[in-house]
Amino acid sequence: MRVRMPPRQKLGTPPATFQELVFALKKYWSEQGCVLLEPYDMEMGAGTFHPATFLRAVGPEPWSAAYVQPSRRPTDGRYGENPFRLQHYYQFQVVIKPSPADIVDRYLGSLRALGFDPLTHDIRLVEDNWESPTLGAWGLGWEIWLNGMEITQFTYFQQVGGLDCRPVMGEITYGLERLAMYLQGVESIFDLTWTDGPLGRVTYGDVYHQNEVEQSKYNFELADVAELFRQFDAHELACQHLLEAGLALPAYEQMLKCSHTFNLLDARRAISVTERQRYILRVRALARAVAEAYYCSRESLGFPMLGGPSPPGTVSGPGADSQESGR
Amino acid sequence: MRKRDFLVEIGTEELPPKSLPGLSQAFADGIAAGLDSAGLAHGEIVAFATPRRLAVRVFRLAERQPDQQIRRKGPPVTAAFDANGEPTRAATAFAASCGADLVDLGRVEETKGAFLFFTGLRVGEDTATLLPGIVQESLDQLPIAKRMRWGDGTAEFVRPVHWVVMLLGNAVVPCSLFDIAAGNSTRGHRFHSNRPITVSPATYERRLASSGHVVASFAARRERIRRGVGELATSLGGVALMDSALLDEVTALVEWPVPIAGRFEDRFLELPPEVVIATVQEHQRYFPVRDADGRLTPWFITVSNIDSSAPAQVRTGNERVVRPRLADAAFFWDTDRKQPLAARRKALGSVTFQKQLGSVLAKSERVAELAERIAEVSGADPALARRAADLAKCDLMTAMVGEFPELQGLMGRYYATNDGEHPEVAAALEEQYWPRFAGDRLPETSAGTALAVADKLDTIVGVFAAGQKPTGARDPFGLRRAALGVLRMVVEKRIDIDLQTLIDTALVAVRADIRAAAIERAPPKDVNTVMATGSFAKLEEADPVAAEIYEYIMERLRAYYVDGDRGVTTEMFDAVLARRPASPLDFDARLRALTDFLSLPDAASLAAANKRIANILRKAEQDIPARVDPSLLQHTAERRLASELEGLRESVESLLAERRYEGALRQLATLRPHVDAFFDGVMVMADNPAVRANRLALLAALARLFTETADLSRLPG
Repeated sequence: MRVRMPPRQKLGTPPATFQELVFALKKYWSEQGCVLLEPYDMEMGAGTFHPATFLRAVGPEPWSAAYVQPSRRPTDGRYGENPFRLQHYYQFQVVIKPSPADIVDRYLGSLRALGFDPLTHDIRLVEDNWESPTLGAWGLGWEIWLNGMEITQFTYFQQVGGLDCRPVMGEITYGLERLAMYLQGVESIFDLTWTDGPLGRVTYGDVYHQNEVEQSKYNFELADVAELFRQFDAHELACQHLLEAGLALPAYEQMLKCSHTFNLLDARRAISVTERQRYILRVRALARAVAEAYYCSRESLGFPMLGGPSPPGTVSGPGADSQESGR
Repeated sequence: MRKRDFLVEIGTEELPPKSLPGLSQAFADGIAAGLDSAGLAHGEIVAFATPRRLAVRVFRLAERQPDQQIRRKGPPVTAAFDANGEPTRAATAFAASCGADLVDLGRVEETKGAFLFFTGLRVGEDTATLLPGIVQESLDQLPIAKRMRWGDGTAEFVRPVHWVVMLLGNAVVPCSLFDIAAGNSTRGHRFHSNRPITVSPATYERRLASSGHVVASFAARRERIRRGVGELATSLGGVALMDSALLDEVTALVEWPVPIAGRFEDRFLELPPEVVIATVQEHQRYFPVRDADGRLTPWFITVSNIDSSAPAQVRTGNERVVRPRLADAAFFWDTDRKQPLAARRKALGSVTFQKQLGSVLAKSERVAELAERIAEVSGADPALARRAADLAKCDLMTAMVGEFPELQGLMGRYYATNDGEHPEVAAALEEQYWPRFAGDRLPETSAGTALAVADKLDTIVGVFAAGQKPTGARDPFGLRRAALGVLRMVVEKRIDIDLQTLIDTALVAVRADIRAAAIERAPPKDVNTVMATGSFAKLEEADPVAAEIYEYIMERLRAYYVDGDRGVTTEMFDAVLARRPASPLDFDARLRALTDFLSLPDAASLAAANKRIANILRKAEQDIPARVDPSLLQHTAERRLASELEGLRESVESLLAERRYEGALRQLATLRPHVDAFFDGVMVMADNPAVRANRLALLAALARLFTETADLSRLPG
């Protein structure tokens, strides 16, 4: 696939607020041609869990997307007392498949758009290989350093759900809070300016501090362990039933619920070291099965995004009719 | 033959810094091997390596392979043609394999008859046609832990490949690697000069430096960083602390190194300096700076990859990153010290040392027993050794060691000192991990030595008992190093431990813990099965694993002496090993005595005599009396030898009992003329059976004293 070389990105004005940073990244990646998505409406540990990354990495179809994903890591909660750690934070995720030859340059273009001149700031690509035991996924890439600070993870997916990635998806994950702290020169996440407009200045702390305090208390002290264990089993079972019905996407959501439930149990220290490994393997088994089911479902649709002739039944079949009548 | 320089460069996205030097070396070695096996003469080979390129320049490479004279013998003429004179299959097949027609084949007459014979010339190929295959082969053989794919291609490499330069002289070698056509242009620095730059083998390095902002040579870049960082530190009134591995890593992270100094807050200097050093080195790849007296300063030096238009921004950026990291470390230091080390011991019960061997707490209890036993022999205070062993692993539960595992032991020492533990106990906590590598220093305190020996021995015994002994190059628990560490400590610190007994003691404890861990792991219904399993039965008198461990450690001892340039041959080692000395220290004393003995003028003759005696005694098909009967001694020479031997016996035996082997052997060496006279004048296998038996008894008595120190009959000659 030949990809047009983008013109050299002009140096942008550094975004002054948290939300302007999000706008700037959305605008940049929209101009690059990515599908802009909104966050997935379920709890997940990272933007990688969004179906727009995990599932779209499976199979031969091209895909590109950019979105903000709220990420929940219950064990990282610090009751709002640590200036750098949160149990709920934001990732800005970009995926392009196949990874274009100039994907690194495109990424560096986004830094220019944010006002970082690479001849002023020391930008480094430092080896960092990624592996997710729960997702049965791994890739090779870097963490990107800006004057010694890690601001992005960059990964070429090699395997997802145990399936080889052919073609390869390139994944770029910005840590929005860190980047914003750097841009705004503040020492605590809670001091970030979220917005500062005609209606006044609102900080990250105004928006999220109470949430950090209360959710930390829930994650570490109040989450009902027995009920969570029960839920884990129930979601696992539901996932398996949905897979038997050939419904990869609803099955995937049940896997996401398993994964988050596991994270909560982990935060409650309810899972011993040896058991921990077994739970990870249970989630991984689901992730693999979902990846395979998704591949099969796309295959039976004739991999529609490959741009070849659509197989009969996909355009004017019953699905299209029922959508019509549903309006 | 005309010669030209050859250049190959693979342009990539940023390569993994820790593997870069190895990849570069392997790429150059692979090309050298390929050129040699193709018979292509060449001069020097120079490798270049940066984050974005692997390149090799070959000086004066022959443009063509030399022609080769081919001479091949075929089937016998009798087998080459049938009765009608028609060529057989053997003949046509031979001709075809030579690429020749049957009529072109000659004949050669040998004693066995006439054979078909082919003489031909293999015309050497052009180097340019061979180079793509040679380069490809070298790339295929690179030691890459994980190869990756990118985009929608099928090519695989360390990181995506963007360009390929392949030039023989100024001519592009036509080929394509990684689906990319080779050309004559490289690219400069990612930010300073990211555009094509036309090069030739001769101009490559210079052009990259002058218009590419790239120092292509790894060694040159490393030196530039070393010098630059050193000078910057000097200008700050200090000395940069440049760890060699860190210097390599930093060199592999930049193409255009520019050192920049930054500063952290003075309050962090109250932390243990090792903590600050670990923070800035490991996490940030900065070089710490010491003052003239060796004290840490608040300066650090980072090596940026650009000639920044505003270095102050790079500096403040890096200072912003290091501050929260050091603040974290300071937080760990403060909170860790609120709880004494001893209070953390219980928690070690939930940390697994090794699945079959159970928890770290279990290990620490075994080590405490061993350390106390060793202390009793070594002259250390057993109470201090036990206290140190009890606290030894507690620092693993501190937040600081959780963050910086490489500070284990050292943090134990700091925290123990803070708790008011005995200074020797505190020191032992750090020393337990020594020696950490070949040639590293040994523990200084006697409690530390006892603990270090016990800790290592327990690991060796435990891993063997768990069935995980090292095989070939696989030694995940570092047992070779541990065994050598134990040996160095007991020999060099002259600790007379009985290794065999100590292994047995350690093994009994390990077996008990393996059994306990298995019961803990097994679901309740399986417990009975586990307990009934034979392999968990109580240690038998001769546990085969004990012998295996002893052999393993003795092999390390052999390496220590024989490979260690200590003037010990493997025969000398075997001669002492045959006596199975109980302690490595005793082993050492015998080896020293043997070395001394072999330097004596009488040694060669006496060693030969011992060999002869061993043979005679082995072949003697009769009972040999325990004592020499003086009344049966007939010959002067044998009477003389017997009386000289008798005269020495008591003092030699008492020297041997005191392990003064050197003195014993030196005394015995004085017997040489009498031994020589005996063999010159006396017939051992006399006809009279009583006389014969008595002579054999005399020789046996002689051999017994001689070979008590080492089995001299095993020496060559």
